[in-house]
Amino acid sequence: MKVNKTVFKTLSLTNSSKLNASKVKLALLTAITLSLSACSSLGVEPWERDLLAKKEMALTSNPIDAALDDHIYFSKEASSGGKSFGGGGCGCN
Amino acid sequence: MTNLNKTSKQANKTPNIKAALSLATGALLGTSILTAGAAQAEEVDEWQFDSAFLLYSEVDRVTATEAIIAGTKVFENDEILSLKLTVDALTGASANGAVAQPKAQTFTRPSGNGQYVTPAGETPLDDTFHDTRVQLNGQWTQPLSENITGSVGGHFSKEYDYLSLGVNGNLAYDFNKKNSTISMGLSYFQDTFTPEGGIPKPHSSMLVGDSSAPEWDTEFAKTRIGDSDDKSTADILVGFTQVINRRMITAFNYSYSMVDGYLTDPFKVVSVLNNDGLAQDYIYESRPDSRVKQSTFMQAKYNFDDSLLNTVADVSYRYMWDDWGINSHTIDTRFTVPVGATSYIEPHIRFYQQGAADFYQPYIIEEQAPIGFVSADYRIGEMTAVTVGAKYGVVLNDGNELSFRLEYYRQTPTNAGFAELSALKGQDIYPVVEALIAQVSYSF
Amino acid sequence: MKRMFVLLLLLIIFSASASSEQQAYSPQESLEQALLAQDGKVIYIDFWASWCGPCVKSFPWMNKIQQQYKDLGFTVISINLDADETNARKFLQDNPASFAVIYDNKGTIAKHFSIQGMPTSMLIGRDGDIKYRHSGFFNGKTKQYEDEIRKLLHTTTTNLSNKTNRGNHESE
Repeated sequence: MKVNKTVFKTLSLTNSSKLNASKVKLALLTAITLSLSACSSLGVEPWERDLLAKKEMALTSNPIDAALDDHIYFSKEASSGGKSFGGGGCGCN
Repeated sequence: MTNLNKTSKQANKTPNIKAALSLATGALLGTSILTAGAAQAEEVDEWQFDSAFLLYSEVDRVTATEAIIAGTKVFENDEILSLKLTVDALTGASANGAVAQPKAQTFTRPSGNGQYVTPAGETPLDDTFHDTRVQLNGQWTQPLSENITGSVGGHFSKEYDYLSLGVNGNLAYDFNKKNSTISMGLSYFQDTFTPEGGIPKPHSSMLVGDSSAPEWDTEFAKTRIGDSDDKSTADILVGFTQVINRRMITAFNYSYSMVDGYLTDPFKVVSVLNNDGLAQDYIYESRPDSRVKQSTFMQAKYNFDDSLLNTVADVSYRYMWDDWGINSHTIDTRFTVPVGATSYIEPHIRFYQQGAADFYQPYIIEEQAPIGFVSADYRIGEMTAVTVGAKYGVVLNDGNELSFRLEYYRQTPTNAGFAELSALKGQDIYPVVEALIAQVSYSF
Repeated sequence: MKRMFVLLLLLIIFSASASSEQQAYSPQESLEQALLAQDGKVIYIDFWASWCGPCVKSFPWMNKIQQQYKDLGFTVISINLDADETNARKFLQDNPASFAVIYDNKGTIAKHFSIQGMPTSMLIGRDGDIKYRHSGFFNGKTKQYEDEIRKLLHTTTTNLSNKTNRGNHESE
């Protein structure tokens, strides 16, 4: 028997956490903008990626460990996720 | 000239040859499946397998074992197929949300069949938890154009009382000679929960008595509002990666997650205490039916030179905030130190700190104003946690890799400003939770 | 005093032998010489490194085409971009190449040709012009690469009209 969804609305953010959140958003936006504008001067030539191509230099160098840890922390804490993929490495093909 | 020397399968796979391709794949909750290893001058890419066995064991509480086997195959045009099977089993006791008392306490099991007694002075733990879960993941990744990579995947998991189905998709665009990458991923999960004993009525009192009494079943049913309920989770993840120089790479992510449906823990109660701190009643907790979480994440990896043993340092920070009032900070660092040509040692330290949810209360005092959402689950309370550990890995003669990981995890819940009551003095209201994590992995 | 003299002598011998170990020609000069020696032939120039997965995967195929087409006036010249040559030499011990390898550890040739990715291959026609350029190597595209080679092999320097040979392959 399915339960009717309760109609309680979510709590609105308190003022301090709203301020916190917007500070973080500003910081992130700044970081991204600076990165993007500076990124054309950063980096290496395609043939200089020897160290970056190493398995240990991948952003998620051990996906199995990461999955096991994520499961533990998702079960025991209130936060989860955040990591992603893409970029770095050999840069080949 | 020289004879064409067909490479044999026994060619030594030295670590620097077995470099990963940049095409990592995975579902959004950070559970990436695998990065493909480059083949050793072989014409056909074979399946590569990674396997692991993990033991998670809390002192006097939960013990979990988890086994994973994952296979990856790279195809002719750099398409990658990853398949992963996970089996985990959980046994042992979990805190039921009630607070310790100077006298023994009796609770009813979630199923309604039977009671259990917590001795005086101890944190109430429910030991009826034992479950086995099977999970399957599949992920397909392929280049869509010279600088665009796409990926799609699916997730299925089933345990006695829980079913979860999920899909994910991701696009990544490389530019600046692949020094920069932006990516965006979406995922959607639909879960169904059919807990033993059904869904309890929020705020209703836990029925404690004799389960074998004739009127028990009817009375117990009055505290239930259904057999099962659903939950859906939608995530969006935006990422930016930048190669800084030959030795360093950085990543910045932002994620937005919406969870809707049944988010309450049907097995947890909240102690109702009188002004002296003595328990009068236990009521089932109640959480909102939606949660919006956001996080920002940044990571840097740096490959030091000889002077620092060619160590690879991995440092990351995540800040999470949600509409339940929870904020958290996570700092995670790892140092991979090569030892000789074929092994490494990797110390690891992680710091975690979270603030309590707005509706978290370790207990309710009888004459309080009528309550709305309430939960005494310490996992959404204020706490700090530390993980300290190390991993040792070695590449064997046949090129396969074996590794061992041992970690210590310690959670320290803290008082977010709740009044102390006289009967609770001397009781451990915020007990420390310690666990040992041990893992063996084998890649072949 | 005698000790100083011995040390100085050792130093001179050492630096002399060190300089004789250096390539007599710069990588660019080595390439020019190799190209001159292969004048009139179809040349496949490949930029690779031992840490580059797809480069490693292309080796068996490059060995194959070297053997298969060399008698038709074709050759492969590879340019290794490992920063440390010893890594390349170690790699070649386990994976021998039947084609020429020029060591360009500072990437001067790569920079000259504005290499955008690893590996990069350039197919040079008999007239010395770069006809095709590929970034990356895919096992699924070898048929296309070989079609391009055959097309260039069947074009002589005196016959620049489009004499396509699709579907008209000679047996090899």
